[in-house]
Amino acid sequence: MNIDANYVAYAFLNTAFIILISPLFMGVAKIVKAQAQGRIGPPLLQPYYNLLKLAQKERVYSNKSSAITKITPYINITIMIVASLGIPLAFAPENSGGLGNIILLLYLLAMGRFFMAAAGLDAGSTFGGMGSSREMSISSIIEPITIIVFAALAFTLNTMDMHQMFQTAAQEMSFLNPALILVSIPLFIVLIVETARVPVDNPETHLELTMIHETMLLEYAGRDLALMELSHAIKQTMLMAILINILVPWGYAREFTAPAVIIGMLLFLAKGIILATFIGLTESSMAKMRLFALPNLFIIAFFLSMLTILLEVFR
Amino acid sequence: MITAALAESLTQALVVLVLISGAFIVTRKDLLSLVSTYQMQSLLLAGVALSLYSVDQSPTLLYLAGLTLVSKVLLIPYIIKRIQRKINISRDMEFHYVSPIASIFITIILILLVYGAFSNILKELALSNLFYLGAVFGISLTLMGMLITFSRKKVITKIIGYLTMENGVLLFSLFITELPFIIEVLILVDLFMIVLLATILSIGMDSSVEAYQERFHQLHIEDLQEKLHLHRKHRGES
Repeated sequence: MNIDANYVAYAFLNTAFIILISPLFMGVAKIVKAQAQGRIGPPLLQPYYNLLKLAQKERVYSNKSSAITKITPYINITIMIVASLGIPLAFAPENSGGLGNIILLLYLLAMGRFFMAAAGLDAGSTFGGMGSSREMSISSIIEPITIIVFAALAFTLNTMDMHQMFQTAAQEMSFLNPALILVSIPLFIVLIVETARVPVDNPETHLELTMIHETMLLEYAGRDLALMELSHAIKQTMLMAILINILVPWGYAREFTAPAVIIGMLLFLAKGIILATFIGLTESSMAKMRLFALPNLFIIAFFLSMLTILLEVFR
Repeated sequence: MITAALAESLTQALVVLVLISGAFIVTRKDLLSLVSTYQMQSLLLAGVALSLYSVDQSPTLLYLAGLTLVSKVLLIPYIIKRIQRKINISRDMEFHYVSPIASIFITIILILLVYGAFSNILKELALSNLFYLGAVFGISLTLMGMLITFSRKKVITKIIGYLTMENGVLLFSLFITELPFIIEVLILVDLFMIVLLATILSIGMDSSVEAYQERFHQLHIEDLQEKLHLHRKHRGES
């Protein structure tokens, strides 16, 4: 891995950009959901205020919890930031430094999930344990499917490297490629599942019956909670960026110059807001599925990505 | 005007949508949406025929598109919807041998098997990849239709499985062979016959004697019987 000045600039810009905009997309989805239910909803910048408020508060730990609870927020945010280097939002340098590999990305996400589940179990509360158990059983079904979805993506675009995938998609102007349109549906399902949104989990509730993701955060307070929420938001933006840059790569900067980068960023922001609106609408138009009905949703993703691979075989 | 490359990717997209609609039919319970999906599938097939016509300019494709539009998009769904209103069943809850998820898995295995079988045969024919895709997906759709006919219990779902099978044959024939137009017309006549026969079956098959009587009454068949009875009685007296 040879690091040049371009790569360092990319690393700083991409990381700063993703941290800056991730809470915004969360806020947009929240507002859309509130509007769909006839409420006014929180202000657009509310997620930022929340994070700031939480960052100023003190941390409280259960006296039963071990070091896992203390280190997990830091591990999680580190994993997400490292993984986000592999997913260029609006521009990428010539060499990806090996970080764009999709297998690496999948394993990083799995590692983040492992520490989340461990932290949920750590304090020994029944809620946390239940959430961890649900999260793990869902992820054991969705992970093989995620792998097949990404395999279909790699097969269609002929590379395992996320940077090169986006580059190819931007060159081809893939809107006419049926395989890419097809694979975007399973990608969207993976996005919904990974970010714990409505047909799978309900991000709003703290009710025992429905929650999966939120239970694992129950033990956290203050700065730790801010870090956990930020890393969740970053994860969502990463998955959104994959969908956006594969399906509608208009404006993705193909050379590393200041105007191209700025245009790319602004366009990404606009497309991200549209996608977040779409996510919010999907969430408000659906009811949460029963836990045992979830495989019905996952099987759609599986079928469509298998079909994408087949379609690519015939090319 | 549509370029050849655009027409090719359009055809590809339409064929994939046809297969997805097939998978949808395999898994759904709700009868009304089954019929609507069948309708949509036939519309997509007409689209495939049209987009092939834009490359090929063969008038048979145009006739096929027209025929599909009239019979399978308008007439047959209309008849089936009428039957549905009569029999008053809105959901087919009985997945007898396989669950929806298992049937999707079976579908994937079927597609792979068809692909494996065809890759041996069609290599020698040196067809273009698009035609290869159409052939494999056409036969897969036929097998999916067969799967529906096997695995469901309600007659009306079986009809839809049969119709899906026929759509698969049509898809296959659009790509692989110049299907003589007259054969397609004959198949359609058969389809109408089977839909009409199945009307009688689906009204009578799954009911007790009392319900059977009641349904006959709904269809005004009982009145006819009564008249016949009276007529006989009258003759016996005289």
